[in-house]
Amino acid sequence: MTRNFARLAWLWLALAGAATLSAQTPIPAKGDVLIKNATVLTVTHGRQEHASIYVKDGKIAAYGATVNAPAGVTVIDAGGKYVTPGIIDSHSHMALDHDVNEATSPIVPQMKMLDAFVYDDKEIYRALAGGVTSALLLHGSADMIGGQAVVIKLKYGMQKEEMLFPGAPQSIKFASGENPKRVFGSKGTLPSTRMGNFAVQRQALLEAQQYMKDWDEYNAKVAKGDKDAKAPRRDLKLEALADVLRGKMLVQIHCYRADELLTEMAMAKEFGYKVRAFHHALEAYKVADKLAENGVGIATFSDWWGYKYEAWDAIPWNAVIAMRKGVKVAIKSDSDDFTRRLNQEAAKTMRYGGATEDEAMKMITINPAWIIGVDDKVGSIDVGKDGDLVLWSDYPLSSFAVPEKVWIDGVLFFDRSLPGLGMPQMKEGQ
Amino acid sequence: MKTSFQFPVTSFQMKTLCCGTLGMLMAIPVFAQKKPASKTATAQAAPAPPPATVIRGGTCLTVSHGTIDNCAVVIEGSKITYVGAASGAKAPVGAKTVDATGMTVYPGLIDSETHLGLTEIEADPMTNDMIEMSDEIMPHMHVYDAFHAESALIPVTRLNGITNAVVAPANRDTLPGQDIFIQLDGREQPDYILLRDNAMALNFTGEQRRNESFERAKFPQTRMGMASQLRQTFIDTQEYMRKMDEWSRKSDADKAKGSEPKKDLKFDALVPYLQGKKPVVLAAETGSDIDTAVALAEEFKLRFVLNHVTHSQKVLDRIAALKVPVIVGPIYEMPYEDERYDAVYSLPAQLAKRGVKVAFASYDAHQSRNLPYAAGYAVAFGLPHDEALRAITLTPAEIWGVADQLGSLDAGKTANVVVANGDPLDVKTDVKRVFISGREIPMESRQTRLRGQYWNK
Repeated sequence: MTRNFARLAWLWLALAGAATLSAQTPIPAKGDVLIKNATVLTVTHGRQEHASIYVKDGKIAAYGATVNAPAGVTVIDAGGKYVTPGIIDSHSHMALDHDVNEATSPIVPQMKMLDAFVYDDKEIYRALAGGVTSALLLHGSADMIGGQAVVIKLKYGMQKEEMLFPGAPQSIKFASGENPKRVFGSKGTLPSTRMGNFAVQRQALLEAQQYMKDWDEYNAKVAKGDKDAKAPRRDLKLEALADVLRGKMLVQIHCYRADELLTEMAMAKEFGYKVRAFHHALEAYKVADKLAENGVGIATFSDWWGYKYEAWDAIPWNAVIAMRKGVKVAIKSDSDDFTRRLNQEAAKTMRYGGATEDEAMKMITINPAWIIGVDDKVGSIDVGKDGDLVLWSDYPLSSFAVPEKVWIDGVLFFDRSLPGLGMPQMKEGQ
Repeated sequence: MKTSFQFPVTSFQMKTLCCGTLGMLMAIPVFAQKKPASKTATAQAAPAPPPATVIRGGTCLTVSHGTIDNCAVVIEGSKITYVGAASGAKAPVGAKTVDATGMTVYPGLIDSETHLGLTEIEADPMTNDMIEMSDEIMPHMHVYDAFHAESALIPVTRLNGITNAVVAPANRDTLPGQDIFIQLDGREQPDYILLRDNAMALNFTGEQRRNESFERAKFPQTRMGMASQLRQTFIDTQEYMRKMDEWSRKSDADKAKGSEPKKDLKFDALVPYLQGKKPVVLAAETGSDIDTAVALAEEFKLRFVLNHVTHSQKVLDRIAALKVPVIVGPIYEMPYEDERYDAVYSLPAQLAKRGVKVAFASYDAHQSRNLPYAAGYAVAFGLPHDEALRAITLTPAEIWGVADQLGSLDAGKTANVVVANGDPLDVKTDVKRVFISGREIPMESRQTRLRGQYWNK
């Protein structure tokens, strides 16, 4: 109770602070920087020693042993330290004021996380200081079909619209298992079992099929010039689900147990949509070949387990077993705490199963980028990709590394050496 | 690290053992030979002593006397009998040799607060015995009465080199009960428990208030309520002690005339703490809570260690002046809104710089296996590596009064030894072998069995 009060108070202060922010010099949307003398983990083509990276107008223009950059560009000497692409968290609820579960109905695809996004929440700053540059902010898992996600760049200090990831596809959150059945079962309503869960989901998808058909027929009539055609009622809920059936949304499913992973894939096949990724997926290792066959990724924890029954068979080798069977694996946070050190969580896969440096790095960069649908823009150090970079104090896949500097689109957003928050784009007191 | 703070082992340890429920414990010294816990051993079979082992060729992080390259550790029975240059090690007859070339060898890690054995599946109340919430003052709760030694969490945890832990109740009461100090192996439940009622938590973090809502609020709704309730409890206990003392001094004739004061489990439990014989583990996070809690402890002359110190950047010098050890963290605690991102991360380093003896705890059951990484992360924020390792080995051994037996690689100590392929504090490091009281632990858990079942499926 008091924590909420405190939280609200801070939120109020933060909003008051934001008002003064607009009076300051605007933060540039894109920047130029040359980082020299770095050990670069490119993710897509290995490690490069004594390398430079040149970011021009927010994009990686060149990298490698010899890089030409114009005079006058800001030069950072990495002193041999490690530079990686920005970390990408494919499962986060940060900056949503813990207001992420519209748990009054098990089917709420019309919810939009954009409407709950608190763009000046300090959670963004703390994740940024941990090297995270992009994140998928998801609805909670109380509902079988939750709301529509938002993809952000962690440009803390900027305005709401400026923090949205340009061109990111729309994701939607589904869930299954213990959470929906507990939330609704405890109210004495459907669903209270896994049978109920899937019945509710199937019913909603059937309604969406009919809705889609009604609109397709109407649009066909209009196309033929039928002036008497009567438009069906627009229904935000079914409209969103129809977009799922039309393949316009990336379906992200919270799902733990092996049998439910299979059921969700069967359901997707039945209704003709694709599952982009299973989230948590702690039993993925039991059915990894089936996930690989269907081209479904997973966004999983490194070693969380035992917090409920469906996490009881979780093993820390899950990520590597799934990866070896051909599944695209991301290590995600689902936590305002863990998002601050996803590098360590990824490093655990080297220990539990023997992931290589590249494989471990992929799990927090290019693979989550793929899950979010932005792997053509971020997630590796390649020419043309966004200048989202982290300079680390030590080898990032270890206990001992801390981000020293973080750039997004070539703009320096975090600098540990600065006093106060370490935010070069913000004045003290903001 | 000049502060010297160590609780004498013997004063309370033997006493508490005597008061335990199991007669067999009375007969054996606490750290005497442990029996092997072989699953196949029948109840009748006399347990064979662990064979002698020579761990040879590794890099020993002794904690007590630096690093020894190409070292050997000799284990005989439950004890370490040699730590030094490999060239100087004599293998006992029949000893098995472990080649530790390229490996690090270090003492078993000690988690200064866990809930191991008090929970299995967090979401299922039937598997949780972590806290008795019916009252805030529950000093007569004994963790050993609930401790479930067969928990699947214990093998999972020890595979990461954690060999000992304090098991404490959860922190939602001001006085939730008394801890046990365990080793993570044994044949039966009592074998796991090295110390019973070794310490008592006194929590003053605010989470103990019964303030769910204005409508449902109960006393103590505020920190004022918590403090006054504690103070009253201690005063009542002192009065109880006085009456009991008075009674014990009476002659038999006088006793025959009067009636013995009624025994009270709560007061009885508090007596050794008010006498300063056992440590209170004083949890407070912020400067103001630390001030209040410390004042209370000093008012009643409690012997204490500080616990859960997290949001205390403004009172670091005051903490240092207390000259007590500090269990820091969790290091992953989120900073307050007005704090810099690394306010909690950097706390262990800042305390150590002021000469404070720090220890780490997982404050968890399932994540106890990640204890060394908390220490490692403190290194990333400035804590010297040797102090970080000490903070999960010798320092907690000192805090919990077992430094003569645990916490470092030294001849004469209990053979809790870990062999791993790298830095103990690094997330990448894979633990290869674990010895607890001289017995080599099978590197198996519920999780490794599931791995085996599906690895090649």
